[in-house]
Amino acid sequence: MTSDDTRVAGGGSASRARTLPFDTSVAHQARMYDYVLGGKDNYAADRKAAEAWLKIDPEAAFTARANRAFLGRAVRFLAGQVGIRQFLDIGTGIPTADNTHQVAQAVAPASRIVYVDYDPTVLAHARALVTSNQAGATDYIVADLRDTGVILRQAAGLLNFTKPVAVTMLAVLHAIPDSDDPHAIVATLMDAVPSGSYLAISHGGSDLIPRETRDGIKGVSDRMQQRIAYRDRDEVARFFAGLDLAAPGLVRVEEWRPEPDGPAGRSSAWCAVGRKR
Amino acid sequence: MNTVAPDGEQPFSGLDDPPVDATVLRMLLGGQLRRLREAAGVTPEQAAFKIRGSRSKISRMETGKVGFKVRDVADLLTVYGVTDDQQRKALLSLARQSKNPNWWTKYSDILPDWFETYLGLESAATTIRSFEIQWVHALFQTEDYARAITELGHQTGLPDEIERRVGLRVKRQELLTRPGAPRIWSVMDEAVLRRPVGGAAVTRAQLGHLIEVARMPQVTLQVVPFTHGGHAAAGGSFTVLRFAELDLPDVVYIEQLTSAIYLDQRADVERYLEVVDQLSGAALTPAATARFIEQVARQT
Repeated sequence: MTSDDTRVAGGGSASRARTLPFDTSVAHQARMYDYVLGGKDNYAADRKAAEAWLKIDPEAAFTARANRAFLGRAVRFLAGQVGIRQFLDIGTGIPTADNTHQVAQAVAPASRIVYVDYDPTVLAHARALVTSNQAGATDYIVADLRDTGVILRQAAGLLNFTKPVAVTMLAVLHAIPDSDDPHAIVATLMDAVPSGSYLAISHGGSDLIPRETRDGIKGVSDRMQQRIAYRDRDEVARFFAGLDLAAPGLVRVEEWRPEPDGPAGRSSAWCAVGRKR
Repeated sequence: MNTVAPDGEQPFSGLDDPPVDATVLRMLLGGQLRRLREAAGVTPEQAAFKIRGSRSKISRMETGKVGFKVRDVADLLTVYGVTDDQQRKALLSLARQSKNPNWWTKYSDILPDWFETYLGLESAATTIRSFEIQWVHALFQTEDYARAITELGHQTGLPDEIERRVGLRVKRQELLTRPGAPRIWSVMDEAVLRRPVGGAAVTRAQLGHLIEVARMPQVTLQVVPFTHGGHAAAGGSFTVLRFAELDLPDVVYIEQLTSAIYLDQRADVERYLEVVDQLSGAALTPAATARFIEQVARQT
């Protein structure tokens, strides 16, 4: 079976989902990523902000590519070595090559993937450019990652929460400010999945870039739809509290189980993959 | 506005102008070769020397006034330091397309130049996005539906001219099943489904065909239902063509009664992308669209 319904969260005003209004005049992280990765689904404001960012932080282009490559290796590891068959991909972004479902279903065709993004247009791209393998299933939820109740309730339509689930949040938690307590959000999600489930995160590292660069990035981010808050290694490690980290532990994205022929460079993003006991 | 001018030069003409030998395809490739040459700091004279030609040959190539020899383009790409295999392949395939006799040349008696250009672009595109308010997208039309529309447009046409036009449309659809078929993402207004074209039986069969087409892996259909109210594309139907080559701009195609408008200036194209992006976010999902079409078919 293949389901490609988007469930728009909400209904009752109490559980009304936060979604992002469509606005091309303000730079958007997903479209800036698309631009840096060589896509064409971006607008003038996105390109301008991305260029400003790259000027301050030239390594960001490598970080974006390395983050994407980490996604591929992490999902291959989870689907292959670990045998995970259910994925909850939060902060999907604009699809490029080798999206979660493609990587997972190449390993195990029956894999089920739920994509979550709070931008209906970004999610429309994911849906349109994604052709689910017939044996597996892919579903789409329009929801803000802060609305964990909405996400979990709707993801249960496709995912079986009594079996292990891999929750992936790549380059997305740094768009959640401390005031929204991202650590509690991650804990809520991991509480909902059984033992043997996994968490994969990548996150901009405030201790991986010089202070001036951080200040410069803040200047760009203030003009984006997302405010970017990089965190240091300890803060990223706290997302994995109570989980066992898969080797090699918490490292920069290009260092996590690197493959030969991987791009060379030094990123400014931390990542890890952890298993729930 | 009625121009295709990759660099603000060489306006592309409609039917009223003398026949043009430059297709948008050539202009896109030519504009790209010029950008690559300039980026590499190579003068037209140096480039000409490398392909045993003259400075004016380079100029004619870069403005899309002549067809391209694949070997010339390959040599130029080398001179310009383009070594990436994918980038070379994409550009060389455009060069090949710009030169090959096209399958539609045998229809040239019924094809205006501006439409031949579109066919060239359509077969070179990797992604075709469209918004339709009037008819089902040409690539998804059944023969009977296409015939009904063609008869509307050519009421004085002889029967075999009508048949040739219908044949052309059906032939065009081979694009959908060829290897490396483009991805087609079509958003249509509910009115497209509701308008009875050629009678209820023809419309019903067309709706059934749409449901079939929607199952093709590279096709995405979305309907904007009437209940959605107004939408950003009040202007009308349009198509956005995207090409594999990273630096080639998207091209917007808007068909008019006797000519077509091609837009490839970024600022223009982005207005249309914005509309189609917004509509895609607001329209029914592909799964809900399939159910919606089935429901309309039952009511037809």
